[in-house]
Amino acid sequence: MSQEKHSTAPVQKILIDDAAPLLERVLFKNRPLVLIILLALTALFGYGVTLTKLDSSIEKYIPTQHEYIKNFLIHADDMKSGVANIKVSLATKEGDIFNAEYQDVLKNLNDKVSFINGVDLSIVRSLWTANTRWTEVTEEGFQGGTVIPSNYDGSQRSLDQVRQNILRSGELGRLVANDFKSSIIDIPLVEKDPITGGNLNYQVLSRDFENIVREGLVCVDASTIGLSDGMAEREGYKVFTSQLQAALESKTAGFDVLNFEHCKVNNGTNTDYSMIVKLSDKNSPYNVYMTGTPKKLGDLMDGAISIGYFFLAAIFMTAFLLFLYSRCPRGTIIPILASLVAVVWQLGALGLLGYTIDLYSVLVPFLVFAIGISHGVQIINGIAIESGKGADKLTAARRAFRGLYAPGMLALISDGMGFLTLLFIDIGVIQELAIAAGLGVAIIIVTNLVLLPIVLSYVGISDSGIKNAQRGEKSNFILWRGLSYFASRKAAPVAIVVAVLLVIGATYVSRDLQIGDLDKGAPELRADSRYNLDNDFMVSNYSTSSDVFVVMAETPQDMCVSFKVFDTLNRFMWHMENVEGVQSAVSVSTISKLVGRAMNEGNIKWSSISRNDIILSGAVQRAQDAKLINSTCSMLPVVIYLNDHKAETLERVVDAVEEFKAEYDDQVDEKYYSYSQDEINQALDAGELDSVPVRLQLASGNAGIEAATNQVIESAQSTMLFFVYGVVIFLCFLTFRSIRAVACIVLPLMVTSILSEAIMVWLGIGVKVATLPVIALGVGIGVDYGIYIYSRLEVMLIHGKNIQQAFLETLRTTGKAVGFTGITLAIGVATWIFSPIKFQADMGVLLTFMFLWNMLGALILLPAIACFILKPEEIIARYKKRNGDIMPAG
Amino acid sequence: MLPTFSRERMRDLASKTFQVGFLVTAFLISPLSHAEWKDPLNVPSVKTERAHESLLLDVTRADKRLVAVGSHGHIIYSDDNGLSWTQSNVPVSVTLTNVFFVSGKIGWAVGHDSVILKTTDGGQNWVLQFDGMRANQAIVEGAQKAVDEAVEVLAAAEESDDQDAIYEAEAHLENLNFALDDAIYDKDKNSTKPFLDIWFYNANQGYAVGAYGMFFYTNDGGQNWLNGISRVPNPNRFHLNSIVMTGGNVLTMVGEQGLIVRSEDLGETWTEQDSPYMGSFFGLAAEGDQQLLYGLRGHVFYTQNSGLNWLEVDTGAEQTLLGGLVGKRQTVLVGSSGAVLMFNKAMKITKAFSLEGRKDHSGIAETAEGGFVLVGEAGVLRIDANGTIQKEVISAAKGEL
Repeated sequence: MSQEKHSTAPVQKILIDDAAPLLERVLFKNRPLVLIILLALTALFGYGVTLTKLDSSIEKYIPTQHEYIKNFLIHADDMKSGVANIKVSLATKEGDIFNAEYQDVLKNLNDKVSFINGVDLSIVRSLWTANTRWTEVTEEGFQGGTVIPSNYDGSQRSLDQVRQNILRSGELGRLVANDFKSSIIDIPLVEKDPITGGNLNYQVLSRDFENIVREGLVCVDASTIGLSDGMAEREGYKVFTSQLQAALESKTAGFDVLNFEHCKVNNGTNTDYSMIVKLSDKNSPYNVYMTGTPKKLGDLMDGAISIGYFFLAAIFMTAFLLFLYSRCPRGTIIPILASLVAVVWQLGALGLLGYTIDLYSVLVPFLVFAIGISHGVQIINGIAIESGKGADKLTAARRAFRGLYAPGMLALISDGMGFLTLLFIDIGVIQELAIAAGLGVAIIIVTNLVLLPIVLSYVGISDSGIKNAQRGEKSNFILWRGLSYFASRKAAPVAIVVAVLLVIGATYVSRDLQIGDLDKGAPELRADSRYNLDNDFMVSNYSTSSDVFVVMAETPQDMCVSFKVFDTLNRFMWHMENVEGVQSAVSVSTISKLVGRAMNEGNIKWSSISRNDIILSGAVQRAQDAKLINSTCSMLPVVIYLNDHKAETLERVVDAVEEFKAEYDDQVDEKYYSYSQDEINQALDAGELDSVPVRLQLASGNAGIEAATNQVIESAQSTMLFFVYGVVIFLCFLTFRSIRAVACIVLPLMVTSILSEAIMVWLGIGVKVATLPVIALGVGIGVDYGIYIYSRLEVMLIHGKNIQQAFLETLRTTGKAVGFTGITLAIGVATWIFSPIKFQADMGVLLTFMFLWNMLGALILLPAIACFILKPEEIIARYKKRNGDIMPAG
Repeated sequence: MLPTFSRERMRDLASKTFQVGFLVTAFLISPLSHAEWKDPLNVPSVKTERAHESLLLDVTRADKRLVAVGSHGHIIYSDDNGLSWTQSNVPVSVTLTNVFFVSGKIGWAVGHDSVILKTTDGGQNWVLQFDGMRANQAIVEGAQKAVDEAVEVLAAAEESDDQDAIYEAEAHLENLNFALDDAIYDKDKNSTKPFLDIWFYNANQGYAVGAYGMFFYTNDGGQNWLNGISRVPNPNRFHLNSIVMTGGNVLTMVGEQGLIVRSEDLGETWTEQDSPYMGSFFGLAAEGDQQLLYGLRGHVFYTQNSGLNWLEVDTGAEQTLLGGLVGKRQTVLVGSSGAVLMFNKAMKITKAFSLEGRKDHSGIAETAEGGFVLVGEAGVLRIDANGTIQKEVISAAKGEL
């Protein structure tokens, strides 16, 4: 922008102090006071940061207001202990588990994990625990014993006995793998930490298991792994010497070797001796696998810590870019500090308000930082340009503030409003994400639109920075020239046609967009994560599924045992077993049929539900042990094992349950379910009821919760899109008072939204808790570019330039900042792609895409649309009507 | 091409509109309909594509056709040696334990809740002939009658003042009173007993036997089922697991705790036989006087003189044997944990092994091809004459649902 153009009277006019907006006068006339207040606030929030805590409560991740979840929470206590356990599987690489060495390692490992703090020692189960028994029907009645016989001595005879006992115990597929190459130690946890009395810290627990299991030590023969002792030591293995043997025997070695009895001493002359390796070592004769919800949560929390490193990486990359952009050390460090102040305020405010940080809100500081930087850049740019025109530090800062606070506020408010639309999603983590991010952008208004210019009004921009800005202003940068053609009738149609084609293509692709998590295993972690690999091993070698859908059958208290109830469940299970995607179902009826069979010499012809209550009661104890009857005999879970947790599978399952409910649920008044046994009997006698009522309630289990989450997300998705676009359109219209302006800004955003759905299909990402906020964030933040570009473009049009010229001027000043902003934001979120937590990575991919495409949309599509629909005469007329002949700052 | 396409579209659209309308209507009226549990005796067996994978307990041949019965009232039949199965129309959804055909068309199935079902069309449609409520009534009446008779016997004994006779009559009466009490209790509680086997001599005359010594007979093809428990010397009311024809007019029943009873007049009178074993027997594979008696924990006994003396067969198996079949070339027994025992024509054991998967089986039939169809807790399994599992996919017959 040339100097001459600004030497007109209206421009001079704005230098008159009185013309400055009130806000500007208040802030800049009291600069020291404002600085002191902001500093004090920073100290306060800094203290607040120390109050923040990482939260691992599962309830926040699920839609607690959904009917299914309410039903589940009513019974949460009854089902809890079934969830918190860790399974360790010890697999042998050669042969099978029927050898003495394997059994020794298993036994020692069993003993070691049993004494980890938090383990419920009394109910640990493995081949080596006394509660693992076999029973058999004989002529004299039942006969049984522990699977490892009491006279076990490691001999082939003993091992054969173990094999036979396993077959009789029914543990094949449960504790012992179907291929006999591994077996499980099932380790239930206690609820409260026995040392601290507080909740168990899964992160610590998970590491304890890593240390004992994966880092557990075993001997392996040097000859079998083909390493001479020199090589072995170079690879970091200890050689089993007679000194080590003595130390281990006297327990002074400081560590244990799980197969100590089988280690061979190296006496210096023999070649067949042992070396000590970790269980998880590539040269270990064993593999170990660990699964279970506590382990998963521990891994997740470990993953959350890596977020800290990503944040540092993002800061350094941003600083580097910022320096390239501003060529001014001050202009680099000060916006970064201002943005970090914003992060401190945001975290501190959360801490002071009593919010905790979870795996979603831990990402908000990235956004706050990146948004802060992008607005800071505009300020730096503005100040540099004004300084270049010869203004002093203060005037330059004031002018920059004056020119930017309106679009800046608008952009930030629309960001914030976009985030707040996330409150419509009834999932704790998302709502807290909305609050944290909303708070964050409110804070940026203060830190980067107020604090930053005031600080810069003292320190100013270095000469190198000013020169750089001037170069930018004058530059006929080829890129800007090229881009400006998109505002001409020559290239604009190309941009629009390409956009329309992309939208059509993306719409076609996005028909396959799915709701929910699409990957198998624990969807929170990556498919190739240690946890999911271990989980794959468990699922493929044992008769178990990691996708469990639980339906809760409710009866009045103490009335759960009756032929009617058991028969209903029996029919329900078969109904569900016929649904595609269902593997099998288990309930008290399964136990009842097994008991019927066991009481009749194991004859499967007795696999039926008896009409005799006394016989039915025979199943109660076993069912309670298996958590298939609750303690008050009013709820009977039906556990349905699924092939996967794809949305379509879950929908089929839910539909099938509803279908059955429609036919079998007793349509009696709600009140009867809270009646006591006596009251029910009275109601039966009085003829109010014909039988004890029973109803099936959805849903629990990981798949049940996911089904509820999917439903919430499916209904929230359109609501949220509606509101986020509603807010953006409303705010844009409020500012620019023109439908045409709104179209220029919002249409490119819509293109990006549609394209991102296609991207999700390509990358196999479903619409889920993690990706829903991305839409709001993408649109809310994406609109900033449009607002900056459009407001500048409008000013240039008012100055009487044609659209292409006006756009070229816009690009020279604001275009660079917008390009920079897009890249800064993209960097901030792109670091998430490396997160070990799958949903953070998914969010990273999508947000990076959206931030970059929204930037391109603002630089290419916006001018193309503007070229067709903007009417410069109208804009000028409207401006003059409001402001008279005073020209806007430009 | 275009007009046809659009006509199809219109039709499609019309049918969709109709479906939506129907669903909306169904939704609107559904809250009014009173959903409630119905007794499985009154609920027809639900047809599904997986009936052949459900718990099935017996399979038999009806001429060329194979018919199997099992849980949830499932009765399925196959006309292609067990590869594909069609589900029959069955009026109940209780677990069925046994099926018997007297000809290619006429057959009966029995099961829990003392149900007896009959077909006259080769197993496609079944009607309910008898159930547990009727059985309980008949058992109470029978027990009352037995008590009344025992009271008279006791009175007669007291009159003759024969101390031994009085003692015996008192003991007998006490036993019968227990039986009567149990029968009344069961009737009041609606606690029913399962039938475990059924056998017909011809289209009219047949027997259904089962738990706690239950023994019913018919002389009119099942229109009337009569309580014949007093004919059987089974004072402890042991389960009668199986009834088999073992000769001209000879029938043998085997059951709990080594029970063997034999009738030489087609079931009119029965006498208890000496038993070689005190564990339970689940069946008898008989070809004339040459028989294999099988039961708990791999126990098999061989006789060549219809049970005058029994020789224990060393099977090496520990699994309980639940079903058996005398085939064209060999006799096969099946049981728990995948147990299969094969015997040659001379009933000498040739093979004993466990099938992969180790599922329990309780029924076996021979296919026209000379292989076998086994049924059990995982539904239908096909093996060839050597006992090798046939890998062809077993399915529901196409277009049946």
